[in-house]
Amino acid sequence: MSAATNSSRQQTEAAEAFAGWLHDLGEAASPAGTGVDAESAQGWLAAERQQAAERLRAQAVPTGKSESWRYTGLRSLIDQGFIQVDEPLSALTPEDIEEVLVPGLDAHRAVLVNGRYSASLSELGTLPRGVRVGSLSQMLESDPDALQGVLTRLAGEGSHLFAALNTAAMQDGLVLLLERGALLERPIEIIHLSVGMEEPRVAQPRHLISLGDGAQAQVIERYISLGDALYCTNSVLEIALGRDARLTHARLQQESPNAFHITSLYLSQDANSHYAGVNIGLGGIWARTDLVTRFSGEHAECDLQGLYLAGDKQLIDYHMDVRHGLPNCSSRERFKGILYGKGRAVFDGLVYVARDAQKTDAAMSNRNLILSENAEVDTKPQLEIYADDVKCSHGTTVGQIEPEALFYLRSRGISASLARRMLCLGFAGEIIDALDSEALRDYVTEQVGDRLERAPLD
Amino acid sequence: MSAIPAEAIRAENQADSSGQYDDLVNAGYEHGFVTEIESDTLPPGLDETVVRAISARKGEPEWMTEWRLSAYSKWLEMPTPTWAAVHYPPIDYQAISYFSAPKKKDGPKSLDEVDPILLETYEKLGIPIEEQKALAGVAVDAVFDSVSVATTFRKTLHEAGVIFCSISEAVQEYPELVQKYLGTVVPPTDNFYTGLNSAVFTDGTFVYVPKHTRCPMELSTYFRINTANTGQFERTLIVADEGSYVSYLEGCTAPQRDENQLHAAVVELIALDDAEIKYSTVQNWYPGDENGKGGIYNFVTKRGDCRGHRSKISWTQVETGSAITWKYPSCILRGDDSVGEFYSVAVTKGRQQADTGTKMIHLGKNTSSTIVSKGISAQHGQQAYRGLVRIAARAAGARNHTQCDSLLIGDKSSAHTFPYIEVKNPSAKMEHEATTSKISDDQLFYCRSRGLSEEDAVSMIVNGFCKEVFNELPMEFAVEAQKLLSISLEGAVG
Repeated sequence: MSAATNSSRQQTEAAEAFAGWLHDLGEAASPAGTGVDAESAQGWLAAERQQAAERLRAQAVPTGKSESWRYTGLRSLIDQGFIQVDEPLSALTPEDIEEVLVPGLDAHRAVLVNGRYSASLSELGTLPRGVRVGSLSQMLESDPDALQGVLTRLAGEGSHLFAALNTAAMQDGLVLLLERGALLERPIEIIHLSVGMEEPRVAQPRHLISLGDGAQAQVIERYISLGDALYCTNSVLEIALGRDARLTHARLQQESPNAFHITSLYLSQDANSHYAGVNIGLGGIWARTDLVTRFSGEHAECDLQGLYLAGDKQLIDYHMDVRHGLPNCSSRERFKGILYGKGRAVFDGLVYVARDAQKTDAAMSNRNLILSENAEVDTKPQLEIYADDVKCSHGTTVGQIEPEALFYLRSRGISASLARRMLCLGFAGEIIDALDSEALRDYVTEQVGDRLERAPLD
Repeated sequence: MSAIPAEAIRAENQADSSGQYDDLVNAGYEHGFVTEIESDTLPPGLDETVVRAISARKGEPEWMTEWRLSAYSKWLEMPTPTWAAVHYPPIDYQAISYFSAPKKKDGPKSLDEVDPILLETYEKLGIPIEEQKALAGVAVDAVFDSVSVATTFRKTLHEAGVIFCSISEAVQEYPELVQKYLGTVVPPTDNFYTGLNSAVFTDGTFVYVPKHTRCPMELSTYFRINTANTGQFERTLIVADEGSYVSYLEGCTAPQRDENQLHAAVVELIALDDAEIKYSTVQNWYPGDENGKGGIYNFVTKRGDCRGHRSKISWTQVETGSAITWKYPSCILRGDDSVGEFYSVAVTKGRQQADTGTKMIHLGKNTSSTIVSKGISAQHGQQAYRGLVRIAARAAGARNHTQCDSLLIGDKSSAHTFPYIEVKNPSAKMEHEATTSKISDDQLFYCRSRGLSEEDAVSMIVNGFCKEVFNELPMEFAVEAQKLLSISLEGAVG
C-alpha cells in the first residue's frame, strides 16, 4: 500500500516537473521568440500557436500509466531541463560538415543547424520546375499564403503532446512543395546538424512536405551531431501526398550518444498515392518516433519499414498509428531491431480499420534480436478492426542468433564475434536493402557494422 | 447501449450483405427459464454489516470474517477498471443483493432429499445428476445460485484422498489448507472485482489433490444464476500438490433475465512440483436480447500459479455467452521448466462484447507457454484479445508461442488484438502472430459445390477454425462445445 502511495507521489512530482518544463518552454516560445516571428507570420499562425499552447495546458501530463508512454519514461528527459535554442548558429563552414556527409550521395542538400535553416551550408543546386525548397521562416515572411491551411493541418487537433509543443514553439524548418506532376529526380537530403551549447538546448524544427497530384520525390532525412553533445531535437513533419503522388522517404537518426530525440511524423495520403518510408534508428540515449498515417483517398499504399539498434543504455521507441478510414488502401509495417548491452526498444504499432474501410490490406511485423542479458524489448502490435472484408495480420518475434547458424559459420573458420556480426548484418540487411539509393545503403551498412563492431556481442 | 427498436435492427440486418444467414442467428436462448424456489435472500445493498451477515450465515470462523472485512475496506478505495474495450452503464453496487441461498428443508443428506424442482432444473439444462453419476463418471458439485446443494462421488474421491467440496465447507473442515492458499494467487487487492469478490463471495469450489495422486475422475461444477438481481461471487481454489494431476470442468447457463446480472468470480489454481492442472470452461450465460438488453456481466479473474518446478497449468475456454466478458485466465510460471497454456474460443454476436485474453508471466528458467486464441465476431459483436507475455530477466530459455486469429462475420462486427510483449532475457524465444479475416467466398463456394448448404458450410468452416482449441477439451465437453458453437452462430453467420 505504502509502495503504491509512494509511486503515485513520484508520479505526481514527475507530472508537476513536466508541466513546469513545458510551461517554461512555452513562455520562451511566445511572440518575443525569434525566427518565425509573430507579426510577419500572420494571424492564422498566431492562432494555431495559441491553440497548441492551450492543448498543452489542457492535456494531461503523461505518466507511466499513460498507455502511449507505458514503456518510455519521460523522467530522464524532464530532468535535463532543456531550454529553447535562441540565436541561429552561423560559425560553421562547409568544411565542418564534410565528415558527416554520405560519401557518393548525389542530392540537393538542405542543412539545418540546431533547428535553423543554414543557407551557407545548404547546396540546393538547380531545382526542376514546379519544385520549391526553402526555409520555413523565410517562406512565412515572403509567401505566407502558400502555407496557410497547409502548415499545422495534419499535426493540429488531437496531435501528440510534443507535436503541440513544436507548434507552439517552432522557429524554422524546411518546406518542400511540389506542384502537380512535378518530378524531383535527385533526392533531397535534409541534414539536421546539432551542435552542443553551454546549456542543454532543445531545437524544434518543423517540416512541411507537400506533393501535388502525380508528383514524385525522394527525401533523405538525417539527424546527426558534431561530437557527443547533450541536446534535444523535437521535430515535426507534416507530409501530404496528392492523388497518384509518390514519395520515398529515408530517415536516419544518428544523434549523439547523449541526445534526446523526438519525431512526430504526420502523413496524409490521397487516392492512389504511394509512400515508402525507411526509418533507421541508431543514435541518441532516448529516442521516440511517432508515425501517424491517414488516408484521404482509396487505393493508397503506405509502406513503413524500420531498423533500430539499441546498445548501451539507449532507449529507442517507435510508435505507429495507421488509420484506415476508407476502403481499398493497404499498409505495411516492417520493423526489425537489434538489442545489445543495456539497450531497450519499444515498438507500439496500431492498425485501425474503420467500419467503411472494406478491402483493407494491412500487415505489420516486428522482429527483434536480443543479444545480451540486460537488453529489453517491449512490443505491442495492435489491430483494431471494425470491417469484415479485410486482410489484416501482425507478427512479432523476439529471439537470438541461432546456435546452428553460428556453428555453421564457425566451422568455416570464421571467428565467433565476426560470425555474430555477419548474422546481425544479414538480419538488418532486409531493411537496409529497402533504401533506394546505393550510396545510402552502403553508408548505413557501414554505420550498422561499426556499431556492431563496438558492441559487446559475446 | 442505446435501446434500438427490434424492427430497426431487423431492417438493418436485412440490408446487410450478411442478411443471407440471419435466420441462422436469431435462434432464442435455449436455457431461458426461471425455477421458482424460495430463496433466503439478503436485501440489496453492501456495507460492512452485509459482509458480516454473509460470513455469519455461513457460520465462518473469525479469520475468514476478518479477511472479508479487510478486503471490503480495500475495495472501497479501488477504482473500477476502465481500460477494457467494453461499454456498459455504471453498475450500482448498492442495488445488488449479495446473498441468496435456496432454503434448506432440514438439510438433504442424499440426492433423493434434494428439492425435486432443483433437480428438474438441472435436467432441463441437460445435466442429469443421477445419469452422470451412473454413466459419465463425473463428480458434480452443482451450484444453484450461491450454495452447493448436491455433491456426488464424494466417496470415490475420498478414497483417493482428493478433497472436492464447496469452499464454505472447506473453510469449516480444512481451514489450514484454505488459510494457506486462499488469496495467494489472486490477492483481494488485485483489482476492483477481486476486492468485491473477496468481501462477499458466497460459495464456490475447493479442490485439493494430495501428493502423487492422479484424480480418478474429471471434476465438474455447473454454475447457474437464478434469483434475479443476485450477483454471483464464486470463489474457486484448486491446489494440486506435488506430482498430482487434476482436470476440472466448469460450465454454466443462466435463465433469461431483463436486468444485467453481475458475475465476478475469482479462480485460483496452484500447482506444486510436477503437478498438472487442466481447467476447462464452457461459458454460455444469457447474452442479452438482440438489443443487448439484459445479459450477464462476466467480470472474472482467473489465475494459475505454477509454483513448483515442472508444473503445468492449462486453461481452455469456450466463451459464447454473457453480455460482457472481461476475463484473462493467466499463468505465473514461477517454477523452473513449468508450462502454461491458454486455448480459447470466444464468440460474440448480437450486442455482445468480450475483452478476453491471457497473461503469461515467465519467471522460472526454461518455462514455456502457448497461447491459441480464436475469436469469432458476428452481427454487432465486439471482441478484443488482450494479452501479456512477460519474460523476466532471470527466465533463461523461456519460450512462448502466441497465435490469435479473428473471424469476422458481418460488417457491423469488430475484432481487436492488443498484445503486450515484454522480453528481458536474451535466451528467450517468443513468437506472436495474429490474423483477422472473414470466411472467404472461395471457401464457401468450395463447400457449396460439394452439396453442403450455406449454413452447414459456415458451421464446418467455423468449427475447423476452432479445432485447435476444441482438441484441448475433454471429449464430452468438446462435443458440447461444438454444438454450442453451431447453436450460437445460428442466424449470425454472413
